[in-house]
Parts: sequence; structure tokens; C-alpha cells
Amino acid sequence: MYQSESVIRNHYNNINDWLDQMTSKVILEKNAEAETHFRNIGITFSTNNETARERIIPFDLIPRIFTYTEWLRLERGVIQRAKALNAFLADIYNQGEIIKANIIPKEIIYKKKSFEPSMFGFSPPRDIYSPIIGIDLVRTGPNDYFVLEDNCRTPSGVSYMLENREIMMRMFPDLFHNNRVTPIDDYPTRLLQTLMSLAPIKCENSEPVCVLLTPGPLNSAYYEHSFLSDQMGIEMVESTDLFVEGKYLYMKTVDGPKRVDVVYRRIDDDFLDPLCFNPQSVIGVPGIMDVYRTGGVNICSAPGSGIADDKAIYIYVPEMIKFYLGEQPILDNVETWNCEKEQELKYVLDNINKLVVKEVDGSGGYGMLIGPKSSKSSIDEFKTKLSTNPKGYIAQPLLDLSFSPTLIKNQVEGRRVDLRPFCLIGEQAQLSSGGLTRVAMNEGSFVVNSSQGGGVKDTWVLAE
Amino acid sequence: MLSRTAEYLYWISRYMERAETTARLLDVGYRMSLFPNPSGYNNEWESVLSAAGAIDGYKNKYNTIEQRNVEDYLFFDESNPSSVYNCILNARNNALVVRTSFTPESWLAINKTYQEMLNLKEKKFTQSDLPDLTEWTIEQVNLFRGSLSSLLRNDGYNFLFLGLFIERADNSARLLDVKYFVLLPKPQYVGGNIDNMQWSILLRSLSSFRAFRWAYEGNITATKIADFLVLNNNCPRSLSFCIQNIVKHLTNLTCSPSKVERIYNNLKDLNTKIQEEKIETIVEYGLHQFVTQFIRKISSVDNEIHQEFFN
Repeated sequence: MYQSESVIRNHYNNINDWLDQMTSKVILEKNAEAETHFRNIGITFSTNNETARERIIPFDLIPRIFTYTEWLRLERGVIQRAKALNAFLADIYNQGEIIKANIIPKEIIYKKKSFEPSMFGFSPPRDIYSPIIGIDLVRTGPNDYFVLEDNCRTPSGVSYMLENREIMMRMFPDLFHNNRVTPIDDYPTRLLQTLMSLAPIKCENSEPVCVLLTPGPLNSAYYEHSFLSDQMGIEMVESTDLFVEGKYLYMKTVDGPKRVDVVYRRIDDDFLDPLCFNPQSVIGVPGIMDVYRTGGVNICSAPGSGIADDKAIYIYVPEMIKFYLGEQPILDNVETWNCEKEQELKYVLDNINKLVVKEVDGSGGYGMLIGPKSSKSSIDEFKTKLSTNPKGYIAQPLLDLSFSPTLIKNQVEGRRVDLRPFCLIGEQAQLSSGGLTRVAMNEGSFVVNSSQGGGVKDTWVLAE
Repeated sequence: MLSRTAEYLYWISRYMERAETTARLLDVGYRMSLFPNPSGYNNEWESVLSAAGAIDGYKNKYNTIEQRNVEDYLFFDESNPSSVYNCILNARNNALVVRTSFTPESWLAINKTYQEMLNLKEKKFTQSDLPDLTEWTIEQVNLFRGSLSSLLRNDGYNFLFLGLFIERADNSARLLDVKYFVLLPKPQYVGGNIDNMQWSILLRSLSSFRAFRWAYEGNITATKIADFLVLNNNCPRSLSFCIQNIVKHLTNLTCSPSKVERIYNNLKDLNTKIQEEKIETIVEYGLHQFVTQFIRKISSVDNEIHQEFFN
């Protein structure tokens, strides 16, 4: 919000005035109102340390604002990246040109667990493997945006983007009268259009039947699953609702079996089909992969998409953009050391107290080390881990994430934020006009993950 | 509609209805406990436990029957599948899954109830709070039912109401039965003052006391009350009313007419019989036998609904 110590960036002027008018009593009331609202609608989540009562993510009343021109660049950059990631998937599951061109070594692709051999030689509709991509961005200076990671499997958080806006509009209608905020509520419609545009070849419906496949109510993103299926007007199914007969996939309805054309799955590859992936799995739809490969159904995202957001592959995304699209990357990667390489590992070990070390397969802010903030004992612990299993880790510099004004005990204080906008790729590629802003609520903290006490904010893109 | 969705909707109303019945039963016990306990009558809390079908579970947990424990067992106990707490928890868990199949208001009604229930459970309550708890439960269930009025009249609506009336038919029948076979062990008491007092408590527990006064003139007699609760089509808790509504919501289903037909065929004899029967005949034949047969029939209809639609 601030340009320097005391100068407010222009597009935050309205918000600053608005904040000035609010008494601390009003702020308290509105905070309570938001919390009650989130609890009532059930937008709760559970963490790895399960407690009896469901938690809600702290919601900060002060929106984060992007100007139209700022956003335009992000939009182009994210779409470019999403296209390159899909081109990469199509390539490695078919010709492997990028390997032949010696840009990415084949070992780091084909040996990864997230690489799915059964996808080899198969092309999904429109060659789109990952139609919904969430790209995590951080800002370190006025125009310095970096991509922290890509999420090509089943990125979550879009329901927060939509519900945060909903509650803001409900509590502060005047704010929206006085600011030209681009609407985002058409996201579910666009998502449905995207899914329908990816119907399989054997689909006979002019309007393909789409379903959302959820692991069930115990999943931490369950609210989002039911929210999205509701907003799209499609069935939310669990794997027991589906079965394969002949060359098609059906869902069990009170009218009898109904054929399904597109499955927007929010479960992991491992749990899709016990015949193909994990034979121990009690969830999953036996035979769905056969139907998929013979064009009877489409699965979004495609099995094996996860290889594209692998932290070791991440390093090569700028190269992919040049290779597949012949363009210069609009958004940069964060400088990353691949501990698999001996020299880079040495650098990481020597400079570990300046770096952030992440598990290649970790997520949710678990299993990472923030060098400058860690005790000697945890640094030593990571050093041992790195030396025994260098493949399992990457390292990045500790970025000075931008601050966003945040209400802490009724005072406006700066807290670090990141951003996840959602990109849709089907018949066309498009970016939501907003995203999920996550905020590290603890002073000095760099970790924005909700599992680690992070909060969320409404994210505005101002109209032109 | 997904079979699972239909099943969950059906069970949401069953659970909500059951929560209300359990809460009302507690109220019956509470009222009875305020009257002097005459010899020859069973302990009212034991009757309440029997009526709630919870006597065995309770005895596994407690050695003696005491008001405080019965209240806790029927209202809050997590090990009692029919406790108000569990009914609301189950309804809420089902609603979480099918929330998109009914209105946001219905979800809110159930979820708010659940949130408040968690708060109630954390507080220690005292005996005198019981009427408040009952009242609270009835209010919450009414909120939920009210929210259904804005639903689309589609199959989901019919499954919700099938569940409601199957549960209610079963609950009303059991309450009637309990009155005769648990509350009243000695024949010489039939028709006595205490008998009538208990009948009126039964009416209250079915939220029908005032309605009965409107429907029948003169003295409260066992036959009148039986007529009211078994055959009276105007009484929303009578067996006859429940059957009629089961038939109505069943035949309103638009999915799978052949399945509807099969279930209807099983049900129509009972429906015709209950419409034509006189209460005197039933009493002569034996109310208990009648009610037992009725409960068995309802349970077989419930089985068929599961077989045909939810599998």
C-alpha cells in the first residue's frame, strides 16, 4: 500500500480514507460478522493436527488492490506460463522434443513418481492436460513479480477468492460503489465452459455432462468442492457413485445409470483407478482409466499432470516458455538451487542460513526450513537431510515479500502476502480477475499457508 | 439426482424428526417427574428410555436410572446413536454432502443448529435447563422445516418428506405403544386419573394437546386419544396422516415409475385399511397388535425405499 515510509500509493487512497472513518468498534463488529458468516456457510478447513472443532481461516478486512496495468502484465505472464506447462505435458507424454533438444534431462522427468507411464502416447482432448492452473506469485518490488510455484493438479482456494469478495460486498457495499472493482463471480460459469469444451471424442451430448469428483467430507477442501459443483450446477460425486460399464462411465442416480462425459476430479492420481494405480486403494473407480484412454470420458486434470508442477521441473519453466512458445518469459522464476546437482548442493550447504530449503514433494508450508529464522539445531537437522537425500530438496533465497496493510488488533500493520490467481485453459485461455491473497498474520513471518496460521484477503483488480 | 444424494436427503429429515421426538420425550419425562410418583407405575425415566429405544444402551453405561443421567444420555451422549446431539451431528454431516441439493437457508438452519449444539455441549447444564433444551431443539427443527418451504418441488423434496413421515410414523407408533405397555403395567389403572394424566402428557409430547382439544369435545378418554393419534387425518402426527403423506410423496416421485409402483403396492393395503377402520375395532383387536404390525410395515417400506432408490 505504501510507496515509501509515508507515501500512499494512489490506488489505495480510497481504502485509506475508508479505514480512517472506521472506529475500532466497527472493525471489531465487522470482524465478528465475517467470522460468523464463514462459520455458518461452513467454509472451514482441517489441518494435519486435527482438533475437534473445524477451523476457519482468519479473514482480513483490508483488500489487496491491483491496478489495471499491473494486472494486465500478470495476466499475460500467467497465461503464458499455463500454456507452456500444458505444451510441456503434451510433449513429454508423446515425442519428448524438449529432452531431445537437451533442455531438460530425461532422468528428472521419467524417474519422478508424478510421471505417469500409463499416459504415454495418449492425447487428451485439445491436448489440454491441466485446464485449471493456480500460479503462486510474490512481489518483491514495484514491478518485480516472481513465480514461487505452479499448481497443475487440483489447485484449491478459488472458493475463498469468491467468498471473500461476497462477504466484503455484503459488509461494505459503499466500498464497491466508490471503487471500480472488476467482478469475479463469473468464475464458476467460466470453469464449467472450460470443462464442457474439453468433452471426450465419444461424447454425444451437445452439452456434455460434467461432474466434480471429491474424496469426501473429510477432505480439507470439501467446502470448495461442494461450492463449485453448486455454482456450476453439476453433481458432486464420490467414487462410489461412479461405475464403468462397457466403454463408458456412469453415475448412479435415482433414475438409473447416467453417462458422464467430463470428470473434474479433486482427488489424487493414486485414488482414481485401483486397477491402474494403487491396488490397495478402496476409493477409486475400477476401469475409469480404460474408458479415459478410449475417449469415453475426460478426466481433468489428466493423470500425470503433477509432473509439471514438480519443484525440480519448476526450474525449467522459463526454458519451456522459450522452447514451446518462442517467447520471452513475462514472469520470472525465483532463483532456485537444485540440490540434486553436486555444485549447487555445495552452495546450499555453505549458505544454508541465508536460504529457504523446501522438500521437493512437500506442500502446505510443512517440511521447509527458513534459514535466517531457524535455530542451529534445525539447520543441522536439514544439513543431514540434504546430505543423505539431496534429490529431495531445492533451495531458494529468502524473498523480501511485499507487505500489505493488515488489521492486527485494530491497528493497521504491514504483513507479508502472496497471490494465487487461477488460470483456465480449454477452448480459450483466461485468468480470473483476482485471486487468493494469502497473508502471514504473525509479525515478521514469511509463511502464508493457512495450515501455519496464515489468513486471507479480498483481492481487487481495478477496472480500466 | 444421485442415489446417494436422495439417500442423504431422506436421512437428514429422519434425523431432524428424531431429534425432535427425543427432545419431546425428555420433556414428557420432565413433566411426569414433577408429579408425585404413584405406586404401581414404572419410573417415568425408564419409560422415556424405552420409548426412545435407548434402554439397553443406557443400562450398559449406568447402573441406576436417574434423571440427570437420562437427560445427558438422551440429549448429549455421543455413544447413544439417537441422542439429540448425534441426530443433529448426523443431519449436519449429511447436509454437508448434499447442501447443494437444497436451499442455502436449509443448510444454514442445520449448520447453525450444529454450531449452537457444540456450544451447548461445552457448557455444563443443570436439571432446570431441560425445558430450555427441549424448546431449543423444537425451535431448531422448525427452522429447518420452514426453510424447506422454498424448495423446488422436485424428487429431492419428496425424498426429504418421505424420510420425515417414515420417521414420524415410526415415532408416533412407538410412543403409542409405550403408553400402553410401559407406562401402564396394571389393568385396574386404565381409565383412572393418572391414566388420563399420562395420556395428556403423551399428547403434549406429540405437540398435539391443544389440537386434541379442538378436535374432540368433552372428557379426555383413551379411545378418543387413540382415535386422534391413529385415525384422525387432521392430526399431523397420526399414523393415518403419516401414511397418507408417505403415499403422496412416494407417488409424486418422477424418477423410476416402476419402482414407485412396487413400493406403492406394498403400502396400499395398509393405507386403505387405516382409512376405513373404526377405532373401536382396533381397540377390540388390540392396539398393541395393531401398532406392532404398523411398525413392521413401515420398516419394510423403509427397506424397500433403500433397495429401490439408494442402492
